[in-house]
Amino acid sequence: MSEKLQQIINKQQKSLSGDDIKIDEVIQLVGFIVGDEEFSVPILSIQEIIKPISWTRVPQTPAYILGVFNLRGSVIPLIDLRSRFGLEMIKHTEETRFIVMKNGDDVAGFVIDRLTEAIRLPKRDVGPAPDTVNEEESMIDGVGKQSDRIITILKVHKLLERNF
Amino acid sequence: MSEEEVEAEIERLIAVRQAEDAAKRAQKSTETEAPKAESAPAPAPVAVTPAAAPAAPKPAPAPRKVEPKEDGEARGGAAVEQTIRVDVKRLDHLMNLIGELVLGKNRLIKINDDVEERYEGEAFLEELNQVVSIVSLVTTDLQIAVMKTRMLPIGKVFNKFPRMIRDLSRELNKKIELEITGEETELDKSIVEEIGDPLVHIIRNSCDHGIETPEIRLASGKEESGTIHLKAYHEGNHIVIQIIDDGKGLDAEMLKLKSIEKGIITEKEADTMTEKEAFGLIFRPGFSTAAQVTSVSGRGVGMDVVKTNIEKLNGMIDIDSEVGKGTSMKLKIPLTLAIIQALLVGVQEEYYAIPLASVLETVRISKDEIYTVESRSVMRLRDEVLSLVHIGDIFEVERVFDNSEHAYVVVLGLAESKIGLIVDSLVGQEEIVIKSLGEYLKGIEGIAGATIRGDGGVTLIVDVAALMQMAKSVKSTVGQESAESRGRLGAKNKASDYTVMIVDDSKTDRTIMRKALEPMGITLVEATDGIEALNILKQGDYMFDGMLVDIEMPRMDGYTLAAEIKKYNKYKNLPLIAVTSRTGKADRMRGVESGMIEYITKPYSPEYLMNVVKRNIKFNEGL
Repeated sequence: MSEKLQQIINKQQKSLSGDDIKIDEVIQLVGFIVGDEEFSVPILSIQEIIKPISWTRVPQTPAYILGVFNLRGSVIPLIDLRSRFGLEMIKHTEETRFIVMKNGDDVAGFVIDRLTEAIRLPKRDVGPAPDTVNEEESMIDGVGKQSDRIITILKVHKLLERNF
Repeated sequence: MSEEEVEAEIERLIAVRQAEDAAKRAQKSTETEAPKAESAPAPAPVAVTPAAAPAAPKPAPAPRKVEPKEDGEARGGAAVEQTIRVDVKRLDHLMNLIGELVLGKNRLIKINDDVEERYEGEAFLEELNQVVSIVSLVTTDLQIAVMKTRMLPIGKVFNKFPRMIRDLSRELNKKIELEITGEETELDKSIVEEIGDPLVHIIRNSCDHGIETPEIRLASGKEESGTIHLKAYHEGNHIVIQIIDDGKGLDAEMLKLKSIEKGIITEKEADTMTEKEAFGLIFRPGFSTAAQVTSVSGRGVGMDVVKTNIEKLNGMIDIDSEVGKGTSMKLKIPLTLAIIQALLVGVQEEYYAIPLASVLETVRISKDEIYTVESRSVMRLRDEVLSLVHIGDIFEVERVFDNSEHAYVVVLGLAESKIGLIVDSLVGQEEIVIKSLGEYLKGIEGIAGATIRGDGGVTLIVDVAALMQMAKSVKSTVGQESAESRGRLGAKNKASDYTVMIVDDSKTDRTIMRKALEPMGITLVEATDGIEALNILKQGDYMFDGMLVDIEMPRMDGYTLAAEIKKYNKYKNLPLIAVTSRTGKADRMRGVESGMIEYITKPYSPEYLMNVVKRNIKFNEGL
């Protein structure tokens, strides 16, 4: 019994210490669709992804803040990314998901149209955001190129920043 | 302990545990066998429960019994400790887990009810009932217990002040006495910790600047020794800590002069300042009235820090002072994460929690008791005139449906001001846990926080003080019927303006109903189950005048659907007609409970159905 325990502990330690080295060159992203475009955020900034649940409207907030919802006992703001990006809000479908993102202590849920996939992208394939975009204001961290498609990588801390 | 020792310890504990488990298993098998032999004549559930009950609680205490012994040995018989220090994060985590448990419990209760309905009279139900009620009882107790772990009496902070005052009075050659009241007032641990330093600053200030030396005191006809009164009490959803001294008080003019001297304000600013604003100057960074820097004060930092600290806790500071009489500082701090009693009110589909401490009373009035004075709504409450504001106007609630003759007024009181808050419905009183809305949404006017209700939904808590402020600037629409509801009632010009939804999982049944109702010429919409029906309602593409609902449907049955629909204020008066082959009395009762107004049993004649529908949607025969 104790041998097994020791083995498990060893294995856990190994997996904890060993992984970091490899990740360095490859970034892992989660891709999703909002409107007609594919966006992505680093996988580590995602706390979880859930199916839509009911939320409570909060008064005196911009339209893109749908309100707050309960995620296992925490009250978390819910932001509609379509509306945040200036697109028209649509009714939630079967594929709509809430992505709960975190950056330090800041946590918020974002409504997206649908998920695409987890993407592994070598760092060298990520280019900077287009020049026309204002560096400070931009929510875009960079643009990833993968075979025939282009994936916009978003700045999570910018998404989680209150701007009203 | 070294690694090997830990290893050995784990191994030993596992061995002990295994031995115990084995013993228990042996014991259990004999126990269950014994009652089985007796149980033949007795009813089964009764026999099983007592056998399972004594066996079940045992596994939990068993491993614990081992550990304390080990601990004791390791510490070498250290003194028995009554308290332990726990990371607040762990408590928070525990709290969240319990929240989850409560949700689970509520679902369990609901499922229990459903099962009860379906298998009425079956023997195992009693057992299930027992388990469910035990689980819910324990969960509730657990929740309360964990909440209490976070609360500390403020006495913890107050305790260190008597000594501080003694030291200070010796140092400053003054005679100062400290009176403490309300030290048993409980508040969240995190606040107790944060409040200590600001209080030290304020009390030092009172001693140094407030209380005069004995000679001056005697000369101005006061008692030789000054008094500082430290008070703590609850007010609304805040805790108030008051520091009152009977010293020389704050001199507004002097404060202004000093501030101009130090370049904190301009002369122009000073001229327009009220007395209160002038008192506020003591919180500006760099401000100090002490002529020279002493070890106690005079560096111009203290009160600035106090203010930042209190603001960090979302608190407020209120200063009252009279020259020669003394100063009173009131720190008002919200009880974050404290449990408060709240009145839940509804407006349209939304619910809000109002701290019960601010609610003076609730009254039900008819709409014509509301008068308008200078475009503000008021009502007479006994001998007083009470100004009214609709909660929907404050929280921008879209008011779609508002045709009731009566309104509920929640009379809110805070300090001397009073206001009547009109709501659509009163839901009831509930104990709620205040949760913050988080960094992203903090500081929203009129909202003090949020709470999670039993059903897992989030309800916002009203900030009564802010609401009173907001009420002053809100344009009142009380008593004005919403244009839409009027438009809706008047718009029935032709038969097809009436819309009825048919909810049934069987295509044949839907066709039968459609055939029966088609001659009326009304618009018919079909849904195949409760979920679909609810979605159609939510989309709001149609304004329904009535619904025909089958009871037995997959995914969501008729009762649940009815209950869900009735949660929406908009559809509170929507006539729901049950169409079913279930004829039992219990079914009818349940139908009524869930909000059905008619109960049609299959089979029925098309004329009968048509008449029932006509009557319920108030069909105008002339069209």
